[in-house]
Amino acid sequence: MPSTFETQLFFSRPFLSKRQIQRAHKNTISDYRNYNQKKLAVFKFLSDLCVQLKFPRKTLETAVYFYQRYHLFNRFETELCYTVATSCLTLSCKEVETIKKANEICTLSLHLRNVVKINTEILENFKKRVFQIELRILESCSFDYRVNNYVHIDEYVIKIGRELSFDYKLCKLAWLIAYDALKLETVLVIPQHSIALAILRIAYELLDNKNWSSKRYSLFESDENSVNEAYFDILNFYINFFDLCDLQHHLPEGVPPVSIDRFMVLKKNAGPEFGLQQVTDHELDADPYITISRENTVQERRYVLSMDLINGESNSVHSTKQV
Amino acid sequence: MSAIREVKYLQEMQHPNVIELIDIFMAYDNLNLVLEFLPTDLEVVIKDKSILFTPADIKAWMLMTLRGVYHCHRNFILHRDLKPNNLLFSPDGQIKVADFGLARAIPAPHEILTSNVVTRWYRAPELLFGAKHYTSAIDIWSVGVIFAELMLRIPYLPGQNDVDQMEVTFRALGTPTDRAWPEVSSFTSYNKLQIYPPPSRDELRKRFIAASEYALDFMCGMLTMNPQKRWNAIECLESDYFKELPPPSDPSTIKIRS
Repeated sequence: MPSTFETQLFFSRPFLSKRQIQRAHKNTISDYRNYNQKKLAVFKFLSDLCVQLKFPRKTLETAVYFYQRYHLFNRFETELCYTVATSCLTLSCKEVETIKKANEICTLSLHLRNVVKINTEILENFKKRVFQIELRILESCSFDYRVNNYVHIDEYVIKIGRELSFDYKLCKLAWLIAYDALKLETVLVIPQHSIALAILRIAYELLDNKNWSSKRYSLFESDENSVNEAYFDILNFYINFFDLCDLQHHLPEGVPPVSIDRFMVLKKNAGPEFGLQQVTDHELDADPYITISRENTVQERRYVLSMDLINGESNSVHSTKQV
Repeated sequence: MSAIREVKYLQEMQHPNVIELIDIFMAYDNLNLVLEFLPTDLEVVIKDKSILFTPADIKAWMLMTLRGVYHCHRNFILHRDLKPNNLLFSPDGQIKVADFGLARAIPAPHEILTSNVVTRWYRAPELLFGAKHYTSAIDIWSVGVIFAELMLRIPYLPGQNDVDQMEVTFRALGTPTDRAWPEVSSFTSYNKLQIYPPPSRDELRKRFIAASEYALDFMCGMLTMNPQKRWNAIECLESDYFKELPPPSDPSTIKIRS
């Protein structure tokens, strides 16, 4: 028996800044280019699964959040990315209450990956692995169910769009942009309702509407920095990776064609790029949440949502030491 | 799945009448949930005939239960498994709604739900009919059955199986008709039902001999067949039953151990 008992205590942080994400990836991803390529392939794979299983967009959104969150704290390529993606989808179904039998999801997952002979043994082994990874995903989210629970981008695009009296065409355009937005890391950075606002702004401006600045974000429990962060993220995606976007092939009727130039004009009109304040190098290096590699060898790992619990724990440790 | 539901809903709820999720941790690769320590439950108390309780005690327990249930409903959560076994007692006599393993968020109108929820004896008629859409009224029905059980000290609607549950429920409370519950007859299982008349007030008085008129109103409000007319948690909490004498007992003074 070891003479010491290791334990870790984490305060949940469901959203991280871009620099924090980059710092966490240093521990888990050696080839970022490869990770990004695989991520796009996984996104397509998850989309195909969702289409065939008739899942709503929120199931896909949550699975994508889980997939990216998992790779903040778990090494990329130690598991097959499609196995991780399948775990993300099974978990996402449970999270957003679009329940399907694990057998059905796993069988389809194997089919889509061209596994020809699927027998009971292959399926059972696959399911077992999928369930094991589910727990890792939950752990990477600190078992925090406050995100992905009630608020989803596509639903809030419609709700906020209706509140702002936008017409069907604008909301549909926004809904299509929301699909492309899932290809980014923005869901790890900005809460979904703020992303929905940023997307609505892009759709609004693509349809040549003016005066977006009159919209008050506080009405929707958001703020300018968060919305701008998502807004510029999405614009930059369209400008830098236009070929990867699905929007160009699925424009609603009556919407003028989109192009890189069109998005560059939007960005130019938006003025200097600004968003959330980034943490300094010193703060990054001093943050064990993202700098410590999670090897899962620590015997006990606790996850809390309240800072009070951490403070209480810290006080009790201090008082014990003093005694 | 039930562990996920348990964490998902308890994580965000903090109320004196809802069990508290204190901690979540992984130890040796097992997930552990630390919940508030609650030594006994209402089922144990009802079954232990050596424990005597008064109408004021029942009133206190109903009040605490409904406060917990109301807290769930106002946070858009359906419990879907209310029964005496899931109403736990804290050492100071507070009732806490527990076991969120079947709970779910109140769905969007287009979402299809499973009717295979709630322990059979406490299952609302819309669930017995196999409804694919239902509301927080299913929880209120369960509370109504629990209230009846507290007064009788035996289960009020103990069906042997799902078919028998309909028989037992409608024999005791009357088979719903289209007049009281529009379009109830469009449920596929409706045609096979024996039609029973609803119990008269006198029959209810004889069955629940110690119940006051307000207590009967309270019970009938919760056990209304039509879920749209059934009382909601606010109506229950504001009922005259809680305003009339005797006042609810102080929970800490109720003896729940023999």
